[in-house]
Amino acid sequence: MTGLPDTPSAAGSGRKAREVRKPGRLQRITEHLRREWQIYAMLLPTVLWMVIFLYKPMYGLQIAFKDYSVFRGIANSPWIGLEHFETLFNNDQFLRALKNTIIMSAYGLLFGFPVPILLALMFNEVLSQTFKKSAQTIVYLPHFISSVIIAGIVMTAFSPSAGIVNTALGWFGLEPVYFLTKPEWFRPIFIGTGIWQEAGFQSIVYLAAIAGVSPTLYESAVVDGASRWQMMWKITIPSILPTIIIMLIIRIGNILEISFEMVILLYQPATYETADVVNTFIYRQGLQGGQYDFAAAAGLFNAVVAFVLVMTANTISKRYSRTSLW
Amino acid sequence: MAGFAKTGGDMSGVNLQGLVKAYGAVQVVHGIDLDVQEKEFVVLVGPSGCGKSTTLRMIAGLEEISDGDLTIDGRHVNRVAPKDRDVAMVFQNYALYPHLNVAENIAFGLRIRKTPKDDIAQQVQEVGGILGLTDYLERRPADLSGGQRQRVAMGRAIVRRPKVFLFDEPLSNLDAKLRTQMRAEIKRLHKRLGVTSIYVTHDQVEAMTLADRIVVMHDGRIEQIGTPMELFLNPANTFVAGFLGAPPMNMITAQIVAGDQGPVAEFGGQRIVLQPLPSLQNAVGKTVTVGIRPEFAKAVDDSQPDRVSIEVDLIETLGSEALVHATLQGAPFVIRTDTVGQMEALGRIGGFTVDAHLVKVFDGETGLALPGQVLNQ
Ligand SMILES: Nc1ncnc2c1ncn2[C@@H]1O[C@H](COP(=O)(O)OP(=O)(O)OP(=O)(O)O)[C@@H](O)[C@H]1O
Ligand SMILES: [Mg+2]
Repeated sequence: MTGLPDTPSAAGSGRKAREVRKPGRLQRITEHLRREWQIYAMLLPTVLWMVIFLYKPMYGLQIAFKDYSVFRGIANSPWIGLEHFETLFNNDQFLRALKNTIIMSAYGLLFGFPVPILLALMFNEVLSQTFKKSAQTIVYLPHFISSVIIAGIVMTAFSPSAGIVNTALGWFGLEPVYFLTKPEWFRPIFIGTGIWQEAGFQSIVYLAAIAGVSPTLYESAVVDGASRWQMMWKITIPSILPTIIIMLIIRIGNILEISFEMVILLYQPATYETADVVNTFIYRQGLQGGQYDFAAAAGLFNAVVAFVLVMTANTISKRYSRTSLW
Repeated sequence: MAGFAKTGGDMSGVNLQGLVKAYGAVQVVHGIDLDVQEKEFVVLVGPSGCGKSTTLRMIAGLEEISDGDLTIDGRHVNRVAPKDRDVAMVFQNYALYPHLNVAENIAFGLRIRKTPKDDIAQQVQEVGGILGLTDYLERRPADLSGGQRQRVAMGRAIVRRPKVFLFDEPLSNLDAKLRTQMRAEIKRLHKRLGVTSIYVTHDQVEAMTLADRIVVMHDGRIEQIGTPMELFLNPANTFVAGFLGAPPMNMITAQIVAGDQGPVAEFGGQRIVLQPLPSLQNAVGKTVTVGIRPEFAKAVDDSQPDRVSIEVDLIETLGSEALVHATLQGAPFVIRTDTVGQMEALGRIGGFTVDAHLVKVFDGETGLALPGQVLNQ
């Protein structure tokens, strides 16, 4: 580690450093590598993994600009420019998927983002340690269950014949509803499932932030006469506000990253209207429909938007809190 | 300023009776009796872990009282919530709210109590003026120096005009120079505001300089209560003798024997003449601990006939005085002596003499001072 800051600082201070130091830049890098080669050796497997599984497949991205055919191969397929993108933006299904993605993300953010914060604040107020530990375990649990099983539970719960929801409706004399076939029910169910699955686990970040608040702040407030409610508003929330903001920025950066396994598991043609998102659209076009070049264009678009969002979020975060991902 | 000159008619004392704190089966404070007068400044002092903070926190209401009675201003408050005890506390790490600026920090307690906005603003200004914080009111704690933060913490307590101030080592995070300065400032503030104060520290210099009365604690018990000079001159036992004073009192294990004019302490063939008090005469033949303050021993050279011989190891010169570090009976023995015009004599020190009435004799087993040895201030 000791040698590492050497290189960036020399690069940063630019010409001056180069004039002052006798040995050339290349020589210094080789020197540095010779001294610290063990560290780079440890880095190697990760770099290889990234090259093979993340960068090499990017070679295939070019088919988004080609009339790709499996028989001709990537290199021999002819270039067609932005034709796939034109088709994409004239495709009603794609536009619908884009719209659904944005709506679901926005709702997910609106309803899903505050829940872990509220959970953390509530856990913090629980006095009985046993109750607190049990409650935490229960809300963390769904995070560790596979999405397939979660989807199975949801489908069972909402089933019109045996599902608990419809049974409960039956007690009030209401007709059973086949929720999972109704487009208007897809979003609430999907977002609710997401909250159920992840809110508990996400609350850990906030609980950690709360644990970092000095206990004497609360003691001092107690002596000053603050109630628990006042302490929550005037101490706990302001103290974890930086964490909340960073989490929000990260979340905005990931806005297009709908958990699409869950969509695939829960949706069906009857609910495509509200359920189909960009990733499921790509999946159907590409893997099921064999239109690899078209799907690649859609995927590339998704990635570019996500990239821009992450960059923006990071810049805002850097400016606001001096905390950033890079 | 009028409001802060003195707290009005309702002045108040704090009374602790048999106060006990136990965590489960472990008792850490074993029954404290203490009567703090109104306007008095009492300092709890003692080594780390002796239960000072615990006692203070019981008074504040931050720790439940396991047994005993606590009265503030004549009101029994064992079961009264902290906010209704009318006490303000200053913490060691200041407990400032990082997201609030200085003015908002000072105003916190008032705002919680729903004081009208205009009053708050005026009182914050006033307290800011008293503590010299006027220029910093808009700053966040992170942008203040340690001393300024300490002042804000004080301001937050003062602005509430409580019946009692509680301080838990408020100066221990400051460097030596600032500590001396803030010590004087706290003393001045106490003179000005006249609020009953209980102050916890493990620094005996702080205790000596600040206190009207000092309470020396050890292992969850009170060893002695008295004015700083009382404790310095007449420690009740070896613990207090060793704890107060810097450097601490020298202790020598000796036998009391009958001399020509009265009792004499004898050790390793050397003798120290003691006062002819009945309690000392009755102790002839007993093993005792003889205590001599570094200030009271007079360094002499080898020519003095009735000297106690010591082996000088090292002389620390501190300017107008010097500390002579020596060995006696295999234990360290320190003498504080003047330097001016004496530097040459320092090199020839071979022993010391001491006035009989300045020697303290403690029971060898219990460590208690033998009765009757009283030094007047
Ligand atoms: N929650 C607790 N459970 C058990 N023992 C405790 C607890 N809190 C404190 N103690 C014990 O009580 C004793 C007194 O602690 P206290 O904090 O009052 O010491 P102190 O005199 O303030 O020391 P210091 O000068 O180090 O602050 C210590 O021995 C400590 O270990
Ligand atoms: Mg303490």
